[in-house]
Amino acid sequence: MRLLKITLCFGLVWTMTSCYSVRFQVENGQWEPKDTEGGDPYYSGYYVRTVQKKVVFKKLTTGADYFNISDCESGALHTVEYRNTFGGILLNLVTFGGRKKVNVKYVCIKENSM
Amino acid sequence: MATTKIDNRTRWDTLHKNGPFPLKLFLTTKLEKNSSGLSGFEKYKDVAVEIQKLIQQAADSNEQFRAIGSKWSMSNIAHCKDRMHYNSYMNLKFPIFEGEMHQDSNYEHSNLFWFQCGNQIKEISLFLERRGKSLKTSGASNGQTIAGCISTGVHGSTIDVGSVQDYVVGLNLITGPNPEDNIYLERKSRPALRDTYVQNLNARVIRDDETFNAALVGLGSMGFIHGVVLEAENLFLLHRYVKKIDKAKALQLANTLDFSNYDPEIPGTDFRGVRPFHYKVFMNPYNTDEEKYAVEFIYKMKYYEDYKTDFGNPIPFQKEFVYLDLLYLFIKIAEKFPKSIPKLINLLKSSILPKEEKTTVGKLSEIFWDTGFQGKAFACSFGVDHTHSSKALELLAKLTREHPVPGIFAMRFIKKSEATMAFSKFPFTCMVEIDGIQWSDKEKIIGLKEYSKKLIGVLKDNDIPFTIHWGKNADWEFPGLVEHMYGNEVKKWKKIRNKLLTIPMQDVFSNAFLDSTKLSEPLAADEDLIV
Repeated sequence: MRLLKITLCFGLVWTMTSCYSVRFQVENGQWEPKDTEGGDPYYSGYYVRTVQKKVVFKKLTTGADYFNISDCESGALHTVEYRNTFGGILLNLVTFGGRKKVNVKYVCIKENSM
Repeated sequence: MATTKIDNRTRWDTLHKNGPFPLKLFLTTKLEKNSSGLSGFEKYKDVAVEIQKLIQQAADSNEQFRAIGSKWSMSNIAHCKDRMHYNSYMNLKFPIFEGEMHQDSNYEHSNLFWFQCGNQIKEISLFLERRGKSLKTSGASNGQTIAGCISTGVHGSTIDVGSVQDYVVGLNLITGPNPEDNIYLERKSRPALRDTYVQNLNARVIRDDETFNAALVGLGSMGFIHGVVLEAENLFLLHRYVKKIDKAKALQLANTLDFSNYDPEIPGTDFRGVRPFHYKVFMNPYNTDEEKYAVEFIYKMKYYEDYKTDFGNPIPFQKEFVYLDLLYLFIKIAEKFPKSIPKLINLLKSSILPKEEKTTVGKLSEIFWDTGFQGKAFACSFGVDHTHSSKALELLAKLTREHPVPGIFAMRFIKKSEATMAFSKFPFTCMVEIDGIQWSDKEKIIGLKEYSKKLIGVLKDNDIPFTIHWGKNADWEFPGLVEHMYGNEVKKWKKIRNKLLTIPMQDVFSNAFLDSTKLSEPLAADEDLIV
């Protein structure tokens, strides 16, 4: 019984952190570079920025509001990664859609590259 | 005004984590903003002044200064211990117009472009493609900066084109803090630009073949490469096909590069007797029973707009890449059980080796696309005359079976370069390379330095003349290595370095790599006269 409880706890933690990512990327653009160390090897050499808001209200995800991205000097995006976790889905479920966890990474197009 | 952000750092690493290396200051220069209203030329001149200021500061502090781009080199060639300058944001681009050409130039002005040092291969390709042009060749991927490529001799496997530096026709170097240290180099035998055009950029013109050829592969030590003038060509398509062919035939083609009687039998095409644009042979050193080798044939085709309708999108879909965690897990197993390496490599071969029998057609930039793996990697790459290619491959693979490391071999072929210190020094150089995933030296596998020392030893013992890719892993402290590889060319290179850089500036533009290879040691005065 004790073992079952431990297993269930581990399972719950695992499902809360298990996640998937969806990446969108333009083919005909140069990503903004950065001298990076560590982190995701996929993004090695990329200047990755992150949307800071972790939990947002429903109107930001369904209404006419936008997340403003104002730090791309080129004014263009190269990569957008949307990440979802089981915990985020659960939060959305228990708040009846009122709260949503947002985890977005993006890479700008390099300025003067076009 | 261009601005430089200076960060205190204690260490720096390459893209493929071949360090870390100690560092004091990391400098990032950005151009004056577009909203300033300055023209491209004005911004270019403005940032040149900024670079000269940074060089002066390094000299005043008795410290080294080194430009880096995308840090793709796996050796420590890009590193210096004091001040490293990240120049990827210096990416201005200028087409050359007819009135800007030298009166004796044979170049077509529409093929010439001036690119600032931090332009990456991908953005150069995109810029050129919008003008109906293409680079002549690139490396296997596209993230390197143009200055980084030519400084280390980045190459593909374009048999009759050469390496990236081989289509450079002009170099703008900043060799010190003074106005006269801003120089523009061209070959006297092949002038490209009018003096007045270059002088508008505040650069002093030097036309000399020997100087140009020495500075071309300058190992980051001939000053700061501020800009390069490239010769592009009209857009073309590449037809890529990978198939397994008899080992004996693959090696015979490598040794002779004679395709006149060979038919690759690629469905839907007739490339019988056609010399490919690119020829590459893959070899798993741990499968001695292999009767066939995977071979990549790439043929050049005339460009037409609707090629994607006929052949599909050539850009690989990300999910086709190997799952990285799996690779790392295999390495952990290999570190503990070195004897398992051959079995692990054989298990992984379908993921490591390219997909066979799959036609891909695209532009140069689409065939040599973003790299799929940017984690911990190593690569040892030797240049030999193509007539020695099969012998060199056999010797290096045998040694690798005796001292297993997690990697596989490939052979690529490049035309001779005119650059003094180009590793593509043979009429046709075969680059025999082993690429793989880094392992821990503390484990039971042979250390990388020891392994590369043995690779050098086996080629020397068998009297096979060789060179080593400047940007790849090697035992660069191997006694007399550079003199063994380049002979008298070393003195020629040093002589030009003496001519372009004052002794204090030679110290500023030196690093541990140059010390290891003894290239930082100036020529004695009498040797300077003899060369």
